[in-house]
Amino acid sequence: MKQLPLIVFLTVLLYGIGGNLSAQQPLKIGSQAPEITLPSITGEQKSLSSMKGNLVLIDFWASWCAPCIQEQPELKRLYAKYHRPGSQSKNFEIFAVSLDSKRDAWQRAITKLGLPWTQVSDLKFWASPVAKTYQLEGIPFNAIIDEKGSIIALNLHGKELDQFLSDKVGK
Amino acid sequence: MKKITQIITVLSLLVSFTFVQGQTKQEPWSSSQLMPPKQLADRIQQAKTLMPLIVNIGPQAVIKGSVDIGPADEKANLKKLETLLSKEDKNREVVLYCGCCPFDRCPNIRPAFSQIKKMGFKNAKLLDIPKNIKTDWIDKDYPVQ
Repeated sequence: MKQLPLIVFLTVLLYGIGGNLSAQQPLKIGSQAPEITLPSITGEQKSLSSMKGNLVLIDFWASWCAPCIQEQPELKRLYAKYHRPGSQSKNFEIFAVSLDSKRDAWQRAITKLGLPWTQVSDLKFWASPVAKTYQLEGIPFNAIIDEKGSIIALNLHGKELDQFLSDKVGK
Repeated sequence: MKKITQIITVLSLLVSFTFVQGQTKQEPWSSSQLMPPKQLADRIQQAKTLMPLIVNIGPQAVIKGSVDIGPADEKANLKKLETLLSKEDKNREVVLYCGCCPFDRCPNIRPAFSQIKKMGFKNAKLLDIPKNIKTDWIDKDYPVQ
């Protein structure tokens, strides 16, 4: 009976530690990018970790997001400029995560825009667990990760993004 | 010299007029037709008053009890909206919502609201979503379906 307070104390302590561990850490530069494994447009599971060794832009977008659609031609231009598989310098990849909920709309947008990079989605709209993991409040949003999977930039667009890639990959 | 001054004055007036016109670009809705999300959420939760017809004209019919039309910037969906509304009394309260992105960037709300106005609905509303459906509805734990 004497041990009861000790047991209560240890229970509370363990619960507290558990709670802290499960609490979500803010997404920040320098931290490891959380893994994403989702179906591609053909239904095949694709993982972000399979792109390790490359400089990867994770693009959170959707066919229904007008600003995201407007940004795609610029991403295509940057992809053409910095995507150099098999070369001695760093290679740039894009891992696009869509918050679409309708497969048709997602597929049509990819085809219409002619996007050649990896596309994944669980078609769960804002209920997608990835939206929570990456703490998305709106899209477009992106994260750039280095060869080891660490986040090195958050939400860069336009000239800023081009300059960043130029610095990291080289012209 | 007098003539040059007159020309400059006329040109300045023209530029100012164009600028003012640009600044006050007319939206198809008036401020009184904007419905705050909380007001709609309260009405859905209380479910005592006569409910409006709630129509999604954006990416997803998130709001409880809403009808899914899809993005109204697509002609086929605008036609779907027209068909849906054609079966309704012109006096019925109808609330349109999108929530893809802020109003200034949304391609859906303008064609949809213009359509409902054109059809003569006297009690048409647009849900006032400043950022998106996630932050202004889902994250506030308002009723979803």
